[in-house]
Amino acid sequence: MTSISVDHVSKTFGKVVAVDDLSFEAPAGAVTAFLGPNGAGKTTTLRVLLGLVTPTAGEATIGGAPYRELGRPLEHVGAVLESSGFHPGLTAATHLEAVRTAAGLAAARVGEVLDQVGLAGAAHRRTGGFSLGMRQRLALATALLGEPSALVLDEPANGLDPVGMRWLRGFLRAYAHDGNTVLISTHVLSEVERIADHVVIVSAGRLRWSGPPTAGSGLEDLYLEVAG
Amino acid sequence: MNRLVRAELIKARASRATIALGAVAPVFCASWVVLQVIVPAASDADRVANVYNMAQQAYVFTMILGILGMAGEFRHRTITWSFLVTPRRGPVLAAKLIAYGLAGLVIAVLSAAATLVAGLVLLPANGHPALTSGVPAVLAGAVLSTTLYAPLGVALAVLVGSRVVAVVLAALLFMYGDGLLAWLAPEVFRWLPTGAARALGGMRAEGGALLPAWGGGLLFAGYVAVTALAARLLTLRRDVT
Repeated sequence: MTSISVDHVSKTFGKVVAVDDLSFEAPAGAVTAFLGPNGAGKTTTLRVLLGLVTPTAGEATIGGAPYRELGRPLEHVGAVLESSGFHPGLTAATHLEAVRTAAGLAAARVGEVLDQVGLAGAAHRRTGGFSLGMRQRLALATALLGEPSALVLDEPANGLDPVGMRWLRGFLRAYAHDGNTVLISTHVLSEVERIADHVVIVSAGRLRWSGPPTAGSGLEDLYLEVAG
Repeated sequence: MNRLVRAELIKARASRATIALGAVAPVFCASWVVLQVIVPAASDADRVANVYNMAQQAYVFTMILGILGMAGEFRHRTITWSFLVTPRRGPVLAAKLIAYGLAGLVIAVLSAAATLVAGLVLLPANGHPALTSGVPAVLAGAVLSTTLYAPLGVALAVLVGSRVVAVVLAALLFMYGDGLLAWLAPEVFRWLPTGAARALGGMRAEGGALLPAWGGGLLFAGYVAVTALAARLLTLRRDVT
């Protein structure tokens, strides 16, 4: 079981405090929604968790280990980050093949994840011509390459059409139901109410609230109260 | 490391920039051969040397190839995937340096072959000897120096970050800056990267003697190694935001 732990993490960029002594847990077998206004420190926290940003203080771990210490990390954690991109001249299949090769994964995984996210028909198209929704699906396919037991997703619903949103919702629920961990940063509160088992709200880099989502319009009211 | 290099080669092979640079470099070198065949030379030996030295002109393309290969990772934000797959950043950079070194080697060999063919055809056609005993060493040196410019481009791109700035800076440093210094202070030129690379390729400097080929090769490899080391230190420290 791969739980995610953020333990007293702080990060400053010059004089700007992006994350301030933030602690929370994302348990295995659950979808944890990570909420907060723009600039709240969500993306920085996820980058600290994934070893892309070095924290000023504290530690973030996945299954008890910092990301940088995970052997074959793609087999533990899959990540979709808002700022990760694709070389426009590469096809979807070539991008996945390069990542698969670097990670030492089975060749069959490329076709499997393309099927999984519904991109098999666009496998040999250059990513430069992809819509935002297709790029999100390709990012998710990349995250799934290693069959990880945890997913860290930063705004994965951006650009997805209603069919894609529905597919993503069903996928994440089933994925967590199988005992896996999902940590998802999003602004779409209606989706959070439908899929999240646990909610973490941050603002100005600090933890404002954490607990199970409340029913009805309670989450929006709570969000506006603690983060607004 | 092996799989990281293979992954980098997959990306490099699939990029249109690699194909374009690899196609243009040999043509560019062969075009320089045409010029060197017709311009006056002090002797036949000088003319033959000047002609086959043109294999080294491919350095512009291998350097740009290295810059584009690395700076593209920042520009298209694909570096995030690389560091997610391999959180230890040193091997990621090492794989990039090796892969683009290999890609640069292919372009260097193709360019040297094009230069050789052009020389073998054009020199006798204009009444000059086609070869001298020094030609194999000149071509081998040109291949080595042209190859080394590719990892130099990768390291420069890490240090600078921006693709455009890296290309402009590299052009200023290695095409014009060194040339200007060679004119202003010929005795210093031999110690500069371009002077060292030209020595490796058997080129001659105007006004000041260059190092022997082996000395130039070692010095140029040293410049590349120091730049790569600086790039590695920066890569390890930089946050990916």
